[in-house]
Amino acid sequence: MSIERKDDYDHGEWMREKNLTPVETTFLTALIWMDKRFRIVDYLEILETLYYRVNLQMPKSHTEQYNLDNKFWYWYPLYALGSFSTIAYVVAAVSGALLGFYYAPATTGDPSSAYNQLAFIMTDLNFGFMLRSLHRWSAQVMVAAVFLHMLRVYFTGAYKEPRELNWIIGIILISLTMVFGYTGYLLPWDQLAFWAGQIGVEMSLSIPLAGEWVAQLVFGGFSLGQATLQRMYILHVFFLPFVVTTIIGVHIAIVWIQGIAEPH
Amino acid sequence: MTDNEQTDNTGEAQADGGSDSAESGPRQDPRPDGGGTGIVPPDDETPTWSERKQRTQGLSRLTYEYFERARSEDQDLRQESSYVERDVLAFPTWPHEMIRNLSLTSFFVGMIIFLAATLPPHLGPPADPSSTPAVILPDWYLYWSFGLLKLGPLNPELAILGGEKLLADRTYGVMANVVIVGIIAIVPFLNKGSARRPVEQPFWAAFGMAGLAFAWTISALSIKNLVPIDAHLLFDLTFLLPVVVGTITYAVLKSMREGYMFDLNRRYYRLRPPK
Repeated sequence: MSIERKDDYDHGEWMREKNLTPVETTFLTALIWMDKRFRIVDYLEILETLYYRVNLQMPKSHTEQYNLDNKFWYWYPLYALGSFSTIAYVVAAVSGALLGFYYAPATTGDPSSAYNQLAFIMTDLNFGFMLRSLHRWSAQVMVAAVFLHMLRVYFTGAYKEPRELNWIIGIILISLTMVFGYTGYLLPWDQLAFWAGQIGVEMSLSIPLAGEWVAQLVFGGFSLGQATLQRMYILHVFFLPFVVTTIIGVHIAIVWIQGIAEPH
Repeated sequence: MTDNEQTDNTGEAQADGGSDSAESGPRQDPRPDGGGTGIVPPDDETPTWSERKQRTQGLSRLTYEYFERARSEDQDLRQESSYVERDVLAFPTWPHEMIRNLSLTSFFVGMIIFLAATLPPHLGPPADPSSTPAVILPDWYLYWSFGLLKLGPLNPELAILGGEKLLADRTYGVMANVVIVGIIAIVPFLNKGSARRPVEQPFWAAFGMAGLAFAWTISALSIKNLVPIDAHLLFDLTFLLPVVVGTITYAVLKSMREGYMFDLNRRYYRLRPPK
């Protein structure tokens, strides 16, 4: 006597009836095994939808339809600026993570530990000079690409009707990119960094009503010191990466959904 | 017409749902063994996907109906549209744009590596709070913001306050940043419509060029001690040059516009003659 239930849900019997090939049998066995544990069926519809979304057959593009290729093919590099800034962001993230292994946000000592670590990276560390160079240049290039991207979007009218929200998200992103650059600019703790930080404190103190509160929150006080460097470091390597990466994701998702606006 | 289709569809959907439940009827007879704890609902009552959709009530039902209506409305508008330009709004991100971008960006990443290898960054002397350097500068992309802090001469001195300024010059500069970002943010709410090329809207192109020129001149103002021009002249040029650039752009585009639009419209009408 078997205690196995023999009913509609006896998948083994069903598979035997169907006379499947070994490949099909293996696939179905694996599928049923997984499904009994994780209820894959519930997710199948989502997967199916995603498959069709990604492989969507889109209509002929405006350029193809009206044969405008010869009119603005030379503008195409400007259409890649958004992707380009994303790639520069990725390069900066990778080289920044590697730099993070060797950097310490401390103002103790004379010159400060932070400055000493920078000198160590640039003189003693293998490939350290190249690493810092790469990080800095990818950051510069990202900011430049983001500026040009905004100009391209403006002059081709790509911010218009269905895309207002993405324009505003873009403004938030360009501001955060500049904050990213500013916090990174302070990290070497050299003369330029220190006095740029001084300007930052004075600017935030000049904000009406909330000035002192902002200065304390962002710079950790009204004069520069350990607290400032520590906050800039955490903003640069922890806070901003999460926030900016998320917003970039939303920005690109909206572009994906709405398509690339072409000049008519 | 849309309403009729809508009701027809719902009618069919309900009829289908009815037949579905009729089919699944025989499977619902009680099990003879009567076993089980009685806690877990029997499998037979698990609804299919179409049943789930049909059972939906209230707000989600409304949402579903609205989506169907909106979709058919879009379709109707698309078919009846007399607009020539608006029938394709965009080209797809995948695959057209992504493939083109991947090839272009891989080239530019090579450029970043080349720049990094040939022009390494500088590390200045260590921070020293007791000695202020002669030149204090943020990175180049913050020059515009730094320049806005130097707009003190524009801060009005009010007669009712006895020649006092309402805002400190610093506060005035910080507020100028907010104003600039605000102006950029509201552009899509002021400029609507389907025009995409600068020639189609000379005003907005001129506005953009003036803004671009102002970004450059205000950056030059921020480093005025490094620019070999008299400070007062530089301050005046900061505001005059953008106006000049804007005016020239406007004049050029206005004069180009007629011939350009003629060509553009001729191409559109040849391909899709108006009904």
